[in-house]
Amino acid sequence: MRRRLILAVCVAVLICSAVCVVAQDRQNAVSAQSPSSDATNHASIFVGSASATRPSAHNSWSASSDVLHSKVLDARAMRLEGEKRFHTNCGRCHLAPHKFPPRAMATIIRHMRVRALITDEDMKYILSYMTQ
Amino acid sequence: MQVRTSISERQHLSSQRPKQHALNRRGLLLAILCFASQVFFVSAVAAQSADSQPPNLQSPAFSSVSTSDEAQDSTPNSPVPVLQTSAGFLTLSDMGEAHVHPLITPVLLLPIGQRWLFETRATFESDLAEQPGVNGLHGVVQKEVEYAQLDFIANPYLTVTVGRFLTPFGIFNERLYPVWIRNLASDPLILPIGIGPSNASTGAMLRGGFRATDAFNVNYAVYYSASSTLSPVDSSRFAGGRAGLFFPKARLEVGGSYQHLLQDDHSNLFGFHFAWQPPALPLDIRAETARSNTGSGYWVESAYRLSQLPFAQSQFRRAQVVARIQQFYTGPNSANSVLPVNTNMFEFGINYYFSDDFRVISNYGRQFAPQGNGNVWTFGVTYRLVAPLGHGDIQ
Repeated sequence: MRRRLILAVCVAVLICSAVCVVAQDRQNAVSAQSPSSDATNHASIFVGSASATRPSAHNSWSASSDVLHSKVLDARAMRLEGEKRFHTNCGRCHLAPHKFPPRAMATIIRHMRVRALITDEDMKYILSYMTQ
Repeated sequence: MQVRTSISERQHLSSQRPKQHALNRRGLLLAILCFASQVFFVSAVAAQSADSQPPNLQSPAFSSVSTSDEAQDSTPNSPVPVLQTSAGFLTLSDMGEAHVHPLITPVLLLPIGQRWLFETRATFESDLAEQPGVNGLHGVVQKEVEYAQLDFIANPYLTVTVGRFLTPFGIFNERLYPVWIRNLASDPLILPIGIGPSNASTGAMLRGGFRATDAFNVNYAVYYSASSTLSPVDSSRFAGGRAGLFFPKARLEVGGSYQHLLQDDHSNLFGFHFAWQPPALPLDIRAETARSNTGSGYWVESAYRLSQLPFAQSQFRRAQVVARIQQFYTGPNSANSVLPVNTNMFEFGINYYFSDDFRVISNYGRQFAPQGNGNVWTFGVTYRLVAPLGHGDIQ
């Protein structure tokens, strides 16, 4: 009887996980159709507020400046999101460590991904934050 | 007559035991197959959806750990090995008996390619105490390889681990055990429940974490451990799993652990864990409970950083007050009980962080047990060092 209960729980977990993953798969498909990702959305908030006041006619210099500007804002948005996710995930167990060199940080974040079961998306944001 | 009936029932039951064991094994096998199919189902869907995820995170260091094949080919910056060492020097007064407990714990992280990681942790520690008839404190250095595991990051949803790994029963053993992380120096009373004879398992494990919805993440670990009597890497034969839900906005995690012993009394072990960090407060609340034939119990711990005091913030923001209450109850299998008697314990501590990796800890605990109550005082320092074993900057 107990075995049947365990099996029923396993099947229930299986079904729930399948539903969650399918839902996320659909969400990913929708986000793939849209031209921007989460971080780009964050960046577009900053870029949009700045570029809305600019004249519609751009020369090549202003276009390249816009690209550079958007890259800077994109990096800033990623850093902010990475800091937020760092405190949400890593801060549960320990304080914020010093920032290490990028290649060392890549190893540490791989270790913490396995140890603390950080999601792939969180890991990328945190690594981006910790290497800037 | 009643006795005869009961005897015949026992004989009938004893004749049924092999069948029941076979059914138990079959049920366990089915459960493991269910989990395995679940994990591979998730990984298959993840592989399908990997192409649809917009890769916007293109920093050079990020690409070095990306699991996409494209990133593997394009990155010139591979991770370097890292040596992390944590050390502690603790002085204890345990029921009036003085102890000095130095320990050093190196952790070696060796990345191999883009998806592999070999990690190992060893501990060198000693418990120096007064010996009868000898002046001074004496003890022996104990050496132990706590884990030595090879991880393969198959996809964003699945990591395969083989070797000797920390048993994922509850959260303390895996996440909070290192001396530089734990808020209180002593182990919880229920820590030995479910983690094996030497805190680790020898076998294989599937684990991972993924975002299920915008509201919560799912993390899981399913493992099998083989029996080993080779000291100090001994382990028991068991199988189990742990699953948790993490709500990032609330910073709340709840989860449960299950383990089935495949030796001795073939008993089941259950555990539940809870961790919450209110976003508005510098407060950590953690709790665990465990139930087994060798004992049951729980602990609840709260830690508060004094960073929101309206005065002397530059001094108090580095201080942390901690409190923990725990209870342990002996189980039906009293011969192998974790503790011989029911025990209650309350602990209080103040920690001061000079930096993120160097701190002073001080604890006071009062233990209540039938054979007598006693005080435990602890004072010490903990330190952590991280050293890249290679050129750490981007080439």
